[in-house]
Amino acid sequence: MRKLALAAAFAATLISGPAFAEYPDKTVNLILPFNAGGESDVSARFQQPYFEKITGQQMVIQYMAGAGGAQAWSQLNSMEGDGYTLMGINLPHTVLQPMEKDVGYETDDLVAVNYFHYTPNALFVPKDSEFQNLQQLIDYAKANPGLVTFSGSGSNSANQIGQTQFDALAGITTTYIPFSGTGPAVTAILGSQVTAGFNYVTSGVNNGDGMRMLAVASEKRVKAFPDVPTFKELGFDLVGGAYRGVAVPKSTPEDIRQKLSDIISEINQNPEFIKKMEDAGFVLTDIPYAKMADFVAQKKKEYRAIGEKLGIANR
Amino acid sequence: MELLGYLLSALTPLNILMALGGVVLGTVIGALPGLSATMAVAVLVPFTFTMDPATGLIALGAIYTGAIYGGAFAAILVNTPGTPSAIATTFDGFPMAKRGDGSLAITLATLSSVFGGLVGGIFLLLLSPPLAKIALAFGPPEYFWLAMFGLTLISALSVGNTLKGLMGGCFGLMLAMVGVAVVGGDLRFTMNSQILLGGFDIVSALIGLYCIPVLIDLVATRDPHLKVETGNRGIRLAEAFGIAWHSKFNVIRSAILGTVIGVLPGAGGSVAGLVSYSEARRSSKHPERFGTGEPNGVIATETANNATVGGGFIPTLVLGIPGTPPDAIILGALLVHGFKIGPTLFTQQGEIVYTFIFGLLIATLLMLPAGLLIGRYAYKSIASIPKTMLVPTIAFLTIIGSFAIHSNIHDVQMMFGLGIVGWILNRCGFAPSPIVLGLVLGQIAEQGFVQSYLIGNARGDILGMFFTRPISVGIIALAAFTLLYPFYAHHKKNLILAKLAVENPGTDIMGDAEASATIPKTGLLSQPRDMAGTIVALVLMVMCAWALSQTPAMTPMGSVFPTTIALVLLVFAGFFVGINILRKNGPRPSDPASTAESSSRRIGLVVAMGLWIAAIPLIGFLAAGIIAFFALVAIANYDGLPAKSIILHLLSGCVIVSAMYVLMAEILLIRMPQGILF
Repeated sequence: MRKLALAAAFAATLISGPAFAEYPDKTVNLILPFNAGGESDVSARFQQPYFEKITGQQMVIQYMAGAGGAQAWSQLNSMEGDGYTLMGINLPHTVLQPMEKDVGYETDDLVAVNYFHYTPNALFVPKDSEFQNLQQLIDYAKANPGLVTFSGSGSNSANQIGQTQFDALAGITTTYIPFSGTGPAVTAILGSQVTAGFNYVTSGVNNGDGMRMLAVASEKRVKAFPDVPTFKELGFDLVGGAYRGVAVPKSTPEDIRQKLSDIISEINQNPEFIKKMEDAGFVLTDIPYAKMADFVAQKKKEYRAIGEKLGIANR
Repeated sequence: MELLGYLLSALTPLNILMALGGVVLGTVIGALPGLSATMAVAVLVPFTFTMDPATGLIALGAIYTGAIYGGAFAAILVNTPGTPSAIATTFDGFPMAKRGDGSLAITLATLSSVFGGLVGGIFLLLLSPPLAKIALAFGPPEYFWLAMFGLTLISALSVGNTLKGLMGGCFGLMLAMVGVAVVGGDLRFTMNSQILLGGFDIVSALIGLYCIPVLIDLVATRDPHLKVETGNRGIRLAEAFGIAWHSKFNVIRSAILGTVIGVLPGAGGSVAGLVSYSEARRSSKHPERFGTGEPNGVIATETANNATVGGGFIPTLVLGIPGTPPDAIILGALLVHGFKIGPTLFTQQGEIVYTFIFGLLIATLLMLPAGLLIGRYAYKSIASIPKTMLVPTIAFLTIIGSFAIHSNIHDVQMMFGLGIVGWILNRCGFAPSPIVLGLVLGQIAEQGFVQSYLIGNARGDILGMFFTRPISVGIIALAAFTLLYPFYAHHKKNLILAKLAVENPGTDIMGDAEASATIPKTGLLSQPRDMAGTIVALVLMVMCAWALSQTPAMTPMGSVFPTTIALVLLVFAGFFVGINILRKNGPRPSDPASTAESSSRRIGLVVAMGLWIAAIPLIGFLAAGIIAFFALVAIANYDGLPAKSIILHLLSGCVIVSAMYVLMAEILLIRMPQGILF
């Protein structure tokens, strides 16, 4: 059936002019390499209604969690490259994973068409914590090496990179406790199971009452939290977090990649969408398909340097 | 009285229709192993954007609660949990169905699910903010001990066979370690294969370990799958009410346990069902009946797992921490609709939240008529359709279900492989449930253990971290009690029997059927040698040695748990081999059934399914499905089929395969492999 429809669509486009001018003409599947509820899920859900508004077609979200995303990414290129199978893609995950070990894909195998937002790291403490500002926490950590525990999502993740860099910049030794996702890592802060946590800014929006954000690892202050200083303001050159975008199988034609990138960029300019994303703590970026090669190359260099520091640059 | 107003606004005809539709769809999806509430809810979220937020949320909540309940159908009728929440339902539900009490089991499951769902929902309505604190009080050590508590159920599940149960549990724990480690990030035991990168998927393991052995044994004899009920006793509602009323303490305890465990974001329905089952068994006057078709086992599990639905929404709505993937999707839908999650949600956006909660309660109530109606026909059709239809249909469902998890043929291969291993292990006396318990609880146990260790180490107080926190101590005590109580009860019974024997010399007290059932034959060494078990134990020892050879390359965080488990398994297996060497060869156990069983049909089924799975990527899902369907009809066929019947089989085969294909490809939008045919 699908082949027949495709053939018909192809025939139609031959007559009507530029190939695939009408992409998309049916429901598009977006596969997320993580479970529901994370930042990838929430941001995709925000996009969903606008995707439909712009294209007239639905974008359906599916989940293929496993191996920190590697399970899905290692299969992306074996999927159908017709523009109706999309996959969420993340940095630094897709650089760090293949750098450390053979996970079934290489960074350059993946075709990202648009990175549309990023979530900066932020340092949180529980609401009733004794630490009111970053300096107090650093002083305490200096006096008690190793005693301060930081929760974060996963091992060798954006969160752990943040913690490692912070340790180096502040000259302290802390203990990183990996959890199976943002949710459990935040729960550990809320319940004071750990001293503090390195998580994404977005966590501060839903759980604002239970945690205090001491600093955020972005260039500028985040709009949702105008009162929280950046690490840079406090004298630590710490900027980092996770970038999220959309990727397609390698076999996807160039014009569809371009069209898709345009659609995502257009959503990113919708004032209503911008407001929803920023209120939720996301920082919008605009890295379209045309700028993708340079962006990924630059990030690869950056993360390799960090990976070497972490001792995970094995490959 | 504000609440009453919200109740009325939930009671619009559209909302009730949505709740009913959601419950029915959810029940069907839950009953099919592999298809999950997560999938259905994720696909339907976009439709809710155009609806009134409360209506949309009610539909999503109804699907979720229906799916958790629907898992019981497959558990009772084909011994395969439709969702992980229904694992413990198989323990007693399937034996009940086998002896002809299937409709009673389903009615009990329905009543229990409705009651559990209502209790969870009422807690959500009235006590959310205080209960959310439980989620925060549970730290890594508590999760570790909770998983350990769940594992104590192994000893109860394998009475008289404890050593094999423990080996099976350790094997399951080892399976749970395969893949990329969450804590430490190591790549463990994957043998450089991409299939094992994500580890053993729990749902695909459930389908394989429970369903494939059923299929293999189903074709081996001409006996019917389930005993058809004698007389037409309908849904046996009054009888079920009577049993449930008699076990009201079990029902209430399971509902509360289910709600509380549901509040814990790291636990969920499967843990709640297992813990409640374990508690019901421990406090029962007849623990020996559990596992053989005891209604209280079904009641405990089904009450608890539906109570987790309401419980799970508590941290989702109050803290913004979703307990389960469906919770997370509903949370996402709330965010998109512009709601701000947190304690203020209940006061500032009460209208939506309370309408949603009432909608959930209404959906739960609607589960009663809908479930009883579906249940009545489900049992009848499973019990009465001929084997020639049942075998191919179940086989098709195992394949489609394991494929649907990730739209991935790897999961199907894994399911089938584990199924064959499970069947062989089962023949050697290793039941699947301890393995599944290990697989389900392994991740929770490992993460809890390593995190506790790291935090304890940072604080310089590792022992204190594990053994001095109040909730941990409570769980440890409960686990110890569960583990040791049977020994105490056994000892007490022996004392009474001894006393009776003194008082009534001459009568054969030990001849009492019940008494001898609870007293194992004395002396480990006096039993005959178990050759098959010994071979399995030796294989497990080789596996452990291999695993231990892999661990030095891992980070300390990633290796501590697998090393410990491998050593423990090595000790158990070594002990087992040791005692079997000392045992004498017994008389060959004569299996009266074996003469009537057909090995060639068993092999035929395995070969046909293997070819089927291999053919899917080549010729397409639908084509392979239809061809294999007819091959299995032939394998399961004992009597010559008349021409009319052949046509009927052909037609219904095509209809079943196509209908499922449409459900998957067009409604749930799962990507299906396209081969050269279709």
